[in-house]
Amino acid sequence: MEAPPVTVMPVTGGTINMMEYLLQGSVLDQSMESLLHRLRGLCDNMEPESFADHELVYLLKGQQGNPFMLRARRSLLHPTAPWHLRYLGQPEVGDKSRHALVRNCVDVAASHSLPEFLNEMGFRMDHEFVAKGQVFRKGAMKVVVSKLLRVLATGNTENTEPLSLSYLVELSVLAPAGQDNVSEDMRSFAEQLKPLVHLEKIDPKRLM
Amino acid sequence: MGVTCVCQVPVAEGKSVQQTVDMLHKKLEQLGAVKQGNFWVDCETYQATGNATGQPTKLLYVMHNSETPLSSMALFEGGPGLTADANFDVLMVKLKSHFQNAKGHKVESRGTRYRYCDFLVKIGTVAMSSSARGISVEVEYCACVIPGDCWNLMKEFMQSFLGSSTPELPAVFTSKAEGLYAPVDCMDTMSQYLELFGKVRKQQVLAGSGVR
Repeated sequence: MEAPPVTVMPVTGGTINMMEYLLQGSVLDQSMESLLHRLRGLCDNMEPESFADHELVYLLKGQQGNPFMLRARRSLLHPTAPWHLRYLGQPEVGDKSRHALVRNCVDVAASHSLPEFLNEMGFRMDHEFVAKGQVFRKGAMKVVVSKLLRVLATGNTENTEPLSLSYLVELSVLAPAGQDNVSEDMRSFAEQLKPLVHLEKIDPKRLM
Repeated sequence: MGVTCVCQVPVAEGKSVQQTVDMLHKKLEQLGAVKQGNFWVDCETYQATGNATGQPTKLLYVMHNSETPLSSMALFEGGPGLTADANFDVLMVKLKSHFQNAKGHKVESRGTRYRYCDFLVKIGTVAMSSSARGISVEVEYCACVIPGDCWNLMKEFMQSFLGSSTPELPAVFTSKAEGLYAPVDCMDTMSQYLELFGKVRKQQVLAGSGVR
């Protein structure tokens, strides 16, 4: 019942902008086992964590410009855990020699009223999917191997079908802006995963 | 965290806001309550831009409470609420072209926190743009999370120092589907503060309140 320290001010705009550094690749279903084996060897010594998440992508159409996109994710394995809301900014157009995709990232943990609240704000769900897979860590680097599944009936995560015959592999780091050695470390780690998987910088704009 | 009741106490006849607050502090100290730090609760208003003409603009309130310093609570008046971590404020900055921060509308209540056995009493001066506009009193009974089980005890305790200013059962508890027997959460406290801040905004500036 002691008063919490009043000097802990809430974090407002002006905080260190966190950037997400990202490399992506894919691997066919049949090659998954060898990839997992190599990751278990290269990554930090701990049991790889399995996950099954349901992600909903929301769009807010404004008067001008591109719609604002937010990603809301919840765990199907831990239904009482908070929702994870994520904003990803436009990729930083800079140094072509930078090895990873860099974009501003804001992560917010939120209560279970999130979908209703986003609707009230004016967001509308654009699409949803289920992702199942494993997470590995090496220091600050995170490797996520996931199978993406299409949700056949809105909101029903029991009825899903795989989107493709492969697994998506993502290598990411969350770091404050301006740390360029991060993409170097990511590149050398990605080298160790070749030829099982080729992780590269994929520009999301090219896919639109 | 327990059941909380937030109410507004009128400024005493012929006295200033600060004098009334001091009177309440004295009453609590006479009861045997012990000062235990400070508290603050604030509320920022965001207006949705880009609404079709003719539709009333939706107001989004983002509130913070020193009891939960790492959280931000967002609510629509009479609508759904969201409890999120402090990064929600950073997200609102990113959303500034869709939700404008009405900076002049920020209301906050700051004051002293008293502890009396299982009760926490927070007497705050409600201020808007540095001018004191009223007094808020929050009473929390930490030993219970069900309003129906402890409301009578809370009311009796409040009568001992608020006298005729003792409030009725907050509407936020009676309007729930499960009524008085649903466990409370921090959103119930913030809804009560939001209601109080709304009333204070509508009141005229108190004579003699001045700059704090």
